[in-house]
Amino acid sequence: MTTYLRRRGLQTIPTLFGIVTLVFLMLRMLPGDPAVFIAGENAGQEVLVNLRHNLGLDQPMLVQYVTYLGRLAQGNLGQSLTNGKSVVGIVQGALPITLVVGGLALVLSFLVAVPLGAVAAFTASRGHGALDHALMVTALVVDTIPGFWLALLLMLVFTLQLGLLPATGPLDPTNPAAFFARLALPVAVLAVSQIASVARITRTAVLEVLHEDYIRTARALGTPEWSVLFGHALRNAALPVVTIAGLSFGRLLGGTVLTENIFALPGMGTVLVNAIFARDYPVVQGMILLYTLVFVAVNVATDLLYTRADPRVQL
Amino acid sequence: MESTLSPSIPAAGAAVVARPVLALPVPLPSFGGLRKFAERRASLVGALILAPIVLLALAAPVLPLPDVNAPNILNALQAPSADHFFGTDKLGRDIFTRVIWGARVSLLIGFSVAAIAVIAGMAIGMLSVTLGRAVDSAVMGVVDLLLSFPSLLLAIGFVAVFGAGVTQVIVAIAIADIPRAIRLQRSLALGIRGRSYVDAARMFSAPTWWIIVRHILPNTVAAMLVVASTYAANAILAEAALSFLGLGITPPTPSWGNIISDGRKYLQDGWWICAFPGMAIVLAAVSLHLLADGLRHTLDPRAEA
Repeated sequence: MTTYLRRRGLQTIPTLFGIVTLVFLMLRMLPGDPAVFIAGENAGQEVLVNLRHNLGLDQPMLVQYVTYLGRLAQGNLGQSLTNGKSVVGIVQGALPITLVVGGLALVLSFLVAVPLGAVAAFTASRGHGALDHALMVTALVVDTIPGFWLALLLMLVFTLQLGLLPATGPLDPTNPAAFFARLALPVAVLAVSQIASVARITRTAVLEVLHEDYIRTARALGTPEWSVLFGHALRNAALPVVTIAGLSFGRLLGGTVLTENIFALPGMGTVLVNAIFARDYPVVQGMILLYTLVFVAVNVATDLLYTRADPRVQL
Repeated sequence: MESTLSPSIPAAGAAVVARPVLALPVPLPSFGGLRKFAERRASLVGALILAPIVLLALAAPVLPLPDVNAPNILNALQAPSADHFFGTDKLGRDIFTRVIWGARVSLLIGFSVAAIAVIAGMAIGMLSVTLGRAVDSAVMGVVDLLLSFPSLLLAIGFVAVFGAGVTQVIVAIAIADIPRAIRLQRSLALGIRGRSYVDAARMFSAPTWWIIVRHILPNTVAAMLVVASTYAANAILAEAALSFLGLGITPPTPSWGNIISDGRKYLQDGWWICAFPGMAIVLAAVSLHLLADGLRHTLDPRAEA
């Protein structure tokens, strides 16, 4: 396990280098002079010289790159151009919100989707195709509902019509009831975006397992059907489901950008979009870098979960 | 959906697969698998949903519709009625008209992204397999790198640098799909390269380009067409997301995403501004997924019909 961890860590290094390099090149790919682009056409010469110096654009490319790497190694992502705050400080404020919303959505989607997928597989294996078919058609439609549109519809019903849940307002972790009420809609929207794919994968995985000999053995021993399904089949189907959890996390992260934006949550997504409109490139770079690092970390964690989900997998 | 339809599963999938659900009055010619395609309920439903959307989008300039961008303040925020099927927005513009014109943008982006991703994927994937190990590992390195970004974030990063607009959005979305297409083409090509008919061709000293053109590419087209359809669906969703954030297609050009973004402020007084373009997105994406499913079964010789 430790050797695997080490090897997996080593494999991640080139990926990280590539990601960092691409993000570094982002600013340099800006059409024309980035300083003019950021400061605007009418900026004075002095402002431009200062900006170029602050961004290091007056240095040769290689020097800029090495400086960038050196700063990164010290955990320095630069400063915001609009308010001078350090990007790391901004991330520290925003990342927890994104992780809490994303994490809750992930958990909720699994709690709903895994039983649904298992039941669909069970009914399919028993020849009661109607329910299974209905569930899978629903999954297809749900899968194509844009999260931001669903968010607006939920807001219309639960906030504007019924007045049940807030869609804006402060986020105060010391008041759990208000905190969760505030997060209910965004978490629901993000969870829905995951439910269809997780349910579908669970269904396929469970269907495959239901043909196994040990399932027949369990049934022959008189194990109740619910126990066969949830105790035996689902446990053995967990592996592909875990994989999908990792892969679909990228989509969840993308979804947080829109959801945070709609529900005015001050997470990474909101910071990112605001920074793009303000042409605050150090912040844009920092946010995209952080989002990607979270995604890579989750993928590594998924690999590790493999060993927990299936002891037969030797890493 | 795909799993419902795998041949090893009885029940629901079989009900659809085994018997032709719609009794067609005239037997369709079996030419080109058209009949096989039409006999699948999923693909037929997909085609029946997509066709009117495409036709309306193409015909938009000649349809008797009010001007797509001309404001008419007297008509502001009208609820759906016989005059305005989908209601009107804050400026009194007809939402139905805007959704149809938006379809032009959304479908253009969806199909362009699918075409670019699949063609680039097939070309680069094929080169990667053919040109030797060094090229292959370099290409796969870049592919893995691009896949380590969440795809929407990659697109957002791209438009952050290159700005909003139809071309930028197409490229931004395609960049995330091309690596997936390369990977698929590569693995398909590697599988086919090991087949005995390729060995046979090689024995007859067939040149490499001949093997690629005659044996490998024709056998990968089917799978690539299927993914093209899902890429198109996902591209329509991604465009809507970018435009909703204000980073994709910017007003006054209507796109499904920016109509919704526009209607966001009038949620309470004009739910229809947001509701209808969203339904259009869902219908278009669902129909493309259904088509993909139909294509998979028509083109895959192993799937029974």
